[in-house]
Amino acid sequence: MAEFSWDVRSPLDRALAVGRYGGHGDAGVALTEIRNFDLIQVMARRGKAAEMAKAAEGRFGVAAPETPKVVQTADATLIWSGPDQFLVRSKGDKHGMAALAPLLAGSASLSDQSHARVLVSVSGAKARTMLAKLSSIDLHPGVFAVGAAAATSMDHTSVTLWRGNDRADGQAVFNVLVFATFAESLWHTMQDSAAEYGVAIGHSEEF
Amino acid sequence: MRIVCPFCGERELGEFTYLGDAKPVRPTADAGEDAVHDYVYLRDNVAGVMSENWYHGGGCRAWLKVTRNTLTHEIAAVEPAAGAGAAKVGA
Amino acid sequence: MAGAQTNRLDNGGLIDRTAPLKFRFDGKSLSGFQGDTLASALVANGVKLVGRSFKYHRPRGILTAGSEEPNALVELRTGARREPNTKATTAELYEGLEAASQNRWPSLSFDVMSVNQLFAPIFVAGFYYKTFMWPAKFWEAVYEPAIRRAAGLGRAAGVADPDHYDKVWAHCDVLIAGSGPAGLAAALAAGRSGARVILCEEDFAFGGRLLSDGGMIDGLPAAEWLSRTLAELAAMPDVRIMARTTLFGVYDGGTYGALERVNDHVPSPPEHQVRQRLWRIVAKRCVVAAGALERPIVFAGNDTPGVMMASAMRTYVGRYAALPAKRIALFTNNEDGWRTVETALGAGLQIAAVIDARPDISPSHRSLASRNGFTVLHGSVSGVDGGKDGVRKIAVSLTGGARAEVEADGLAVSGGWNPAVGLTSYHRGRPKWRDDIAAFVPDGAPPGMVAAGAANGNFGLGACLAQGFAAGAAAAHNTGHNGKAGTAPVADDETFSLTPLWHVAGKGKAFVDYQHDVTASDIELAQREGFESVEHLKRYTTLGMATDQGKTSNVAGLAIMAAVTGKSIPDTGTTIYRPPYVPVAIGAFAGHHRDETFHATRLTPSHHWAAEQGAVFVDTGLWKRAQWYPRAGEKDWLQSVTREVKAVRSGVGFCDVSTLGKIDVHGPDAGAFLDRVYINTFTNLAVGKARYGLMLREDGIVYDDGTTSRLAEGHYFLTTTTAKAGLVMQHLEFCRQVLFPDLDVQLTSVSDQWAQFSIAGPKTRELLKEIVDPAEDLSNEGFPFMGAREVALRGGIKARLFRISFSGEMAFEISVPARYGEAMARNLMRAGEPLGVTPYGTEALGVMRIEKGHVAGPELNGTTTAADLGLGKMMSTKKDFIGRVMAGREALVAPDRQVVVGVKPTDRARRLRSGAHIIPKGQTPGPGNDQGYVTSVCFSPTSDQWIGLALVERGRERIGEIVHAHDPIRGEDYEVELCNPVFYDPDGGRQRG
Repeated sequence: MAEFSWDVRSPLDRALAVGRYGGHGDAGVALTEIRNFDLIQVMARRGKAAEMAKAAEGRFGVAAPETPKVVQTADATLIWSGPDQFLVRSKGDKHGMAALAPLLAGSASLSDQSHARVLVSVSGAKARTMLAKLSSIDLHPGVFAVGAAAATSMDHTSVTLWRGNDRADGQAVFNVLVFATFAESLWHTMQDSAAEYGVAIGHSEEF
Repeated sequence: MRIVCPFCGERELGEFTYLGDAKPVRPTADAGEDAVHDYVYLRDNVAGVMSENWYHGGGCRAWLKVTRNTLTHEIAAVEPAAGAGAAKVGA
Repeated sequence: MAGAQTNRLDNGGLIDRTAPLKFRFDGKSLSGFQGDTLASALVANGVKLVGRSFKYHRPRGILTAGSEEPNALVELRTGARREPNTKATTAELYEGLEAASQNRWPSLSFDVMSVNQLFAPIFVAGFYYKTFMWPAKFWEAVYEPAIRRAAGLGRAAGVADPDHYDKVWAHCDVLIAGSGPAGLAAALAAGRSGARVILCEEDFAFGGRLLSDGGMIDGLPAAEWLSRTLAELAAMPDVRIMARTTLFGVYDGGTYGALERVNDHVPSPPEHQVRQRLWRIVAKRCVVAAGALERPIVFAGNDTPGVMMASAMRTYVGRYAALPAKRIALFTNNEDGWRTVETALGAGLQIAAVIDARPDISPSHRSLASRNGFTVLHGSVSGVDGGKDGVRKIAVSLTGGARAEVEADGLAVSGGWNPAVGLTSYHRGRPKWRDDIAAFVPDGAPPGMVAAGAANGNFGLGACLAQGFAAGAAAAHNTGHNGKAGTAPVADDETFSLTPLWHVAGKGKAFVDYQHDVTASDIELAQREGFESVEHLKRYTTLGMATDQGKTSNVAGLAIMAAVTGKSIPDTGTTIYRPPYVPVAIGAFAGHHRDETFHATRLTPSHHWAAEQGAVFVDTGLWKRAQWYPRAGEKDWLQSVTREVKAVRSGVGFCDVSTLGKIDVHGPDAGAFLDRVYINTFTNLAVGKARYGLMLREDGIVYDDGTTSRLAEGHYFLTTTTAKAGLVMQHLEFCRQVLFPDLDVQLTSVSDQWAQFSIAGPKTRELLKEIVDPAEDLSNEGFPFMGAREVALRGGIKARLFRISFSGEMAFEISVPARYGEAMARNLMRAGEPLGVTPYGTEALGVMRIEKGHVAGPELNGTTTAADLGLGKMMSTKKDFIGRVMAGREALVAPDRQVVVGVKPTDRARRLRSGAHIIPKGQTPGPGNDQGYVTSVCFSPTSDQWIGLALVERGRERIGEIVHAHDPIRGEDYEVELCNPVFYDPDGGRQRG
């Protein structure tokens, strides 16, 4: 019997080269892939919005977003992804399929998307300038505040975009959740868009 | 052109796909061939305000009913399709 | 040694004399300064002749100092960066700039084609239409190439553009076009009020006419007010002012297009930087402060080099300290033209005379003339004596009929000013006529847009500031910003008294449209020939077409048409205005969407593994798919594909089929929902089973097909074809949200969640046993054909296993979460090594499906019904479904429809080609007996000959008949036999085994 292993490989494994890219000097943009997370799509059943909301609040201790927002708890991120639906991002099967299914059975349909998406976090002094090349969304701090989310497109590719908590240095952090098979393509486009400002590239398993 | 998605807010045209006239209603199963023929093929060619089906496929995937003036492209109203946001039905 | 700047003043102007720049024009080395345009540097070097005209090859000089320039078009740069038809008047000078004049041969000063002038009488309006009518076949072969060589403008580079471009979005409350006094005042008011402001300025310097004309604002010299204002705006965090940026268009919903020339002012863009950037600006309000364009007066010889717009002459002298002439005359019909005299005198130029067409001249101008010793002539310029070296003498028709002559080497002309009505008119707004300034002003601007200052017909400095400020404050207020705007900047208004004058009769050609060589007599001819409507006039004479879009010519052209038809100018009307305001390179619209990044690309989970194996990839929609895996020694694709097919049919192979669309259908009504979208029934599908499903369009034609499995009571897993994945998702959402909103069903794409592989061949189970946990029963009883369920794999992960077959072999499809996809490919290779496992690509997949008679894209071609495909029996009669009623229409169930059938050449050695028409044996091919065509072909290793599928009239009744395959495109005609489309294992024993 052959010996084999099930290596988990990020769709960006080949394209992402840790280090510096593009213009010299201080990197204006940091692109960081966040790896290894669980992602569950929760879709309320017909007429069951209130029931689902109650079950979700019981589980997460906060109300799930009903408008384009993101809600952060200690061990989960709840991201609005459309009417009657949101994504639950967590780690280590905390809020994975097995944990959520019994709780939401009857009020919502669940779909495991853990392998279907790639998450890239974009920050740095030039993050907004660079994202303006890709996103038609107005990311002005007064318009797209911490906790704002959007189901939108970048470079003709559907993404879920949200603004997480600011970095320790006060700079805004934008998270881009993209379909896995599009990820390498969008990654190259992001890298090219950021090149003139200098890019610091990395990946992380931090939640 | 920009469309105010009732779920997402104002978005650029590129996120949406146009389908066409939202007025024709799919006939019931027992309707005859003539009714279905009209539903499939007969469309008003409106120079002015009409109701249209648009899909926010580059966003929240909701189907929308958009009231648009075909002469000026002015959009008077945008409503979700009956089954978009159906989880709140009866709430 | 670069040429001396003979015509440069020692002092003054906004050029940096400490930063000299060398450049070449037509190979000659010249020099200029930082702050010059190519045009101002040419002026400073005494260059008057800059190009040859479009049709007559007449010598032309610089007419204007802005983006309205019709004459001074050059080829800028060399090699791959060579850019034709670039306006010397807006091209910024940089070190090493190379420019060449256009439309001349062998040289600018001696141009052979200028003999065209001798034939001028025949090159009238409509010349091309009248002359090159026939013979028609001569058009492409003879006329067009000859015309293109003789006429036309610059040459394209002919090779790929080496530079990069990008596109960017911006959002603001108030967008302002132009940084002249009105635009800056608007920005101040809006910015101070707290609005988000974007100001776009076409020039590389801010200030508009202030840069050339100066003046006093708030008691300060204009230059000082300008620098204070720019500093104040720069300090506002939500105000962005952009130089080198032209706002070129307005689109629906307050979306605007602007082009930023990021690095046009340097030889080549720095590393990682773009050449130009296209801005898509979303603005709640827009203030158009784009100014006005001075207009020429049409008179004989008005295109002689040295004849220049009066304001342009002021700009060259005042802003660039460059002298277009030593001794100038002014021809004006308004007060503003006189300012050029003042500027010229200040620079020490001689004034030969002022020819003023108005009846009255102010006492102050009379005293200016007498103080400076020049004459003021009442009348009009009727002719210019000069040539490629410039103006020599000017003939004047004096009021009352006498004639006079003026000796001068330059002639400044002012026919008044036309507000820049482009932006305000792009939504079919028709500008309205204002008699006091004899010009069109904006009317019917798009929602949210207003014009201010000169763009609105208010030419005085004080009025520009006041109106700009008021417009900026109002725009801010209307977008909810009510901060303290302070008071408007104050300045005096200059007088502007104008007596309209468009055309002076005289001998010789009098040009209306310089760029297209349209003369006053062409317009008269067009009218005589019935092309009176302005839109006809434009097309017939080419007036106002091409890169300048008639910025200097349109209104004069209308005025001349009005005069010959006896109508008023407003009754004559204007043509429709359309964006872009200035030419925009296609590269800027494309942005980064070119070459490899033309569109987004999707990669399968095993892509990089396949690349390692040396796979040849094919673009399938956005996907890259492995087409075949060549091995050393294989001479062509056919050999590789044949090997792959044989390996599968005799052993085992696998193929990444993750590109299929995959949709989770959840909810209590999931089955009922599928019953409505598929022609067959899914409510009765048992959990753990898969079923082939076919969808129709509502018109009864087949839409898509795929296998759908029931994984749980309320959970189906639906697959689509690769090509239609996105469209089927959209269609299903339409069904769910619009057609059947009462059903409780939820849909989500899981296409990217699963890496899916087809494993096929008689040794499939042997291979799977190595991968799947030994506890799983894969026997025919434990996992029968069309079974579908979750299984555990060795190593602890879970997979979904489907016993379905596209190849006709014993086969499974296995899905693992996508990040295991590459590991799955490697594990299949490792585990399958003793079995000779062979990865196969889309070609082998296609061969096997044709051998098996499965339909795919070429048969699901938007014209076929389920019955045409041999799947009519799948249509349920017990339920309603999309397409049911229309599928029953007479024409769609007619017995003579073209239906899927197999075809094979009677000569087994012959290659079959798709597209060949099916013609009954013995008949001469023609539309009357065309009975169908060959849809899919392959070389079948199993049959050892070329085989195919075809759509043939009554095909299924004609099995065994010999017909013609007629292929006129390839010049082939051969016999084929109609046969059962299932060439391989017709009773299906292998896939069920």
